[in-house]
Amino acid sequence: MAESGEAIIRLENIVKRFGGAQALSGASLAVARGSIHGLVGQNGAGKSTLIKLIAGLHRADGGAVEIDGKSYDRLTPHLAEELGIHFIHQDRLLVPTFTVGEALFLGREPRIPGTPFLDRAAMRRRSAEILERYFGVSLPHSALIAELSAAEKQIVQITRALIADPKVLVFDEPTAALVRREADLLFQLIRRLSAEGVTILYISHYLGEIVDLCDTVTVLRNGRDVATLPVAETSAAKIGALMVNRDIGELYPKSDVTPGEVILQVDDLVLAGRYEAVSFSLRRGEVLGLTGLVGSGAKEVVRTRFGLDRPTGGTGSIKGETVFSADPAAATERRLALVPEDRRSDGVALDLSVTENTTLASLGRFSHGLINRGAERRQTEDLVQRLQIKTDGVDALVKTLSGGNQQKVAIAKWLSRQSEIYLLDEPTVGVDIAAKVEIYRLIGELAERGAGVLVLSSDIEELLGVTDRLLVLFRGRVTRQFISSETSPDQVLADVTGAYETLLHAG
Amino acid sequence: MLVDVPYIPATALEVEAQRAFEPARTSPAFARRLAALALRGGALAVFLGVLIVFSVTAPFFLTVGNIGNVLGQSAISGVLAIGLTIVIIAGGSNVVTGGIDLSLAANMGLSAAVYASLAQAGHGDGVAVLGALVTGLAIGAVNAAAITLAGIVPLLATLAVMNVVAGLELVLTQNTVVPASSEFLSALSAGGPLGIPVLAYILLGFTLVVAAIVQYTPLGLRLYAVGAFPDAARAAGLPVRSFVAGSFLASGLCGGLAGILSVSYLSGSTTGAGDMLLPVVVTALLGTVFSRRLVPTITGTLLSALFVGFLVNGFQLLNISSTLVSGVQGLLILLVVSATTLLGRKENA
Repeated sequence: MAESGEAIIRLENIVKRFGGAQALSGASLAVARGSIHGLVGQNGAGKSTLIKLIAGLHRADGGAVEIDGKSYDRLTPHLAEELGIHFIHQDRLLVPTFTVGEALFLGREPRIPGTPFLDRAAMRRRSAEILERYFGVSLPHSALIAELSAAEKQIVQITRALIADPKVLVFDEPTAALVRREADLLFQLIRRLSAEGVTILYISHYLGEIVDLCDTVTVLRNGRDVATLPVAETSAAKIGALMVNRDIGELYPKSDVTPGEVILQVDDLVLAGRYEAVSFSLRRGEVLGLTGLVGSGAKEVVRTRFGLDRPTGGTGSIKGETVFSADPAAATERRLALVPEDRRSDGVALDLSVTENTTLASLGRFSHGLINRGAERRQTEDLVQRLQIKTDGVDALVKTLSGGNQQKVAIAKWLSRQSEIYLLDEPTVGVDIAAKVEIYRLIGELAERGAGVLVLSSDIEELLGVTDRLLVLFRGRVTRQFISSETSPDQVLADVTGAYETLLHAG
Repeated sequence: MLVDVPYIPATALEVEAQRAFEPARTSPAFARRLAALALRGGALAVFLGVLIVFSVTAPFFLTVGNIGNVLGQSAISGVLAIGLTIVIIAGGSNVVTGGIDLSLAANMGLSAAVYASLAQAGHGDGVAVLGALVTGLAIGAVNAAAITLAGIVPLLATLAVMNVVAGLELVLTQNTVVPASSEFLSALSAGGPLGIPVLAYILLGFTLVVAAIVQYTPLGLRLYAVGAFPDAARAAGLPVRSFVAGSFLASGLCGGLAGILSVSYLSGSTTGAGDMLLPVVVTALLGTVFSRRLVPTITGTLLSALFVGFLVNGFQLLNISSTLVSGVQGLLILLVVSATTLLGRKENA
């Protein structure tokens, strides 16, 4: 638990404007010495602006900054470092062509005593020692950063900060690239550092992490701090509610739709080596969930259905017509829409405007030789309003939108195409809670309008919240079907991980 | 109800996911290493192959006198290429947006002209040397200002400066050769111990000093960081712009030094300095294939300067037209740049 010591970092009524937009409007933050302090907020709440202010990368337009009891008019990156504040950035800022030792010691390189030359032997030795001490890992000393995994790079980045003997360590979404085992290792380390007296400021989307790890949490919303609470007196749900200012019960708005006729039917679909004998049907107005581990074949089923892979067996029909061609163009022709997982590379064209993205799949409707810009605009404005896409206008480039809004543009593209069957692949990965809720509502609306929606997700709670039925794939087979409203996440998880099957075999 | 669902049930998913990705993760890195190894091995093999072909076909090619000759002849382009290498290290090796100094050859021409003019006007070698170095440094300063203060990409900035400098040289020399001779200049162009020209020793000595700084001091390491990943350098508290500006000052100084060597080699200024640009760029770019990490290095640049020198020398011994040399050099640029770009792309994938 945090001792109620004095604040090592104190920000009061910080105001920061970028052009016309106010990123911070009177935000305050006080981090007690020796505590693990969580900072949460949706995308755009002002978290990163606040952090960059502490890092000395931005200068506040108003308010007071106090570090260690002394007030500072202007922080620079160098000054922040001198004050003992170090940052683990979300992007791993390591030179790809450097060895681990070089990356660790860049900026404070050991020299061979009495010469101006680098002591590479000492760099190797000390980096091996430090990595062993803090993480219990050893990396090949000749390995270049470019050859390391994301987690290993993260470890190097953290170690870099540790070498400087920091007083305050700021973690900005450190687990984004880590698998659970590595994240656990990171949490152990953070607790150990905290026990050694290092103050931790921890920023994360994952409220579970905040609750597990932090003593105190500050919630930012719309550029202001709405609450600072001891974690022991709150819960993830309460923190989430503070972030969105919305009752969590509304998280999964589920509308009652009576399913209509079968719109998509799949029988005994096989893709050799990936999955076998997959059968399911999707009705109008129905939301069907699909889940499974990586390699279970769930993702491949969706890909095949959209025509990205050619199945090796089985039949499928759309609206009663038997078709199966490995041709996405033919699929869209049949009103099939795929919203891919990696929206930045597959879902939207980042350098095109919202309008261009929206009408990309349906340009035929807007052109007779030349594109009818007016009609294109009207359609887009209509969709932007319907989907509540937050953008500076329909001409804004999609890359300027937040993740959740980019996802909505990816869906708008298919609405413009007047698609009737939607295949959504991990639709809410990397978007904040408010945008998630809007995407869930959108899924509900699609179903209400008589579309069939297939949602692939590894977020089981989400799936149970938004779908009517749920299929679980395990090792290439559909092992279980659930009625979503009558099922708990634990039951699904057991099937997803094959625990049930293992039990049977053991018994 | 939990807000933060991915975190809790994801455990098993993530472990499984990691298992699925582990084998896939190591193989591209391995493939890349293999490709880098092949490129380096290939480059060395070509280097040796060229030496062998020439030594078989051209008499005198592998005599001490000829090797010394090549070293001496490579001194000027070698010094320039080392300057360019520093700029490429600090600016990054992206051919379009990265570090490049196209004004180097023109810089050498103007510095040589300044030296020769000062000498002709009756000034001593000391003043002339200072004049040439200050000229080079001033050109470097203009480049640095255009790039770091005005924010023009180096490719364009130095292209413009190149033309300005070439124009100034024409104004200064009236497009004639300004002769210059002094004991200092004769001493530079004379033969040294073992029958190897003094210029060759200067090239080796200069390489040694610069290599010591760039490859073996913290300053050099930071220079690499600035070029390879400016954001990382900034996060490490390094003044990125100062490093970039410094690299152009250093390359300007190299231009001035090359100017002095050129005056001694040719006993005066020369009008054809611009022709030097292509071999210098080839040499600096080719140098990257001689390093393990496929980055530009000073020693790699020396090796490639010698390679280019031997190539030109062999062509001369075999009486092959010198126009062909430019063609071969252009081809080398295409090969090296596309090979390293392809490897880089693999790294990012």
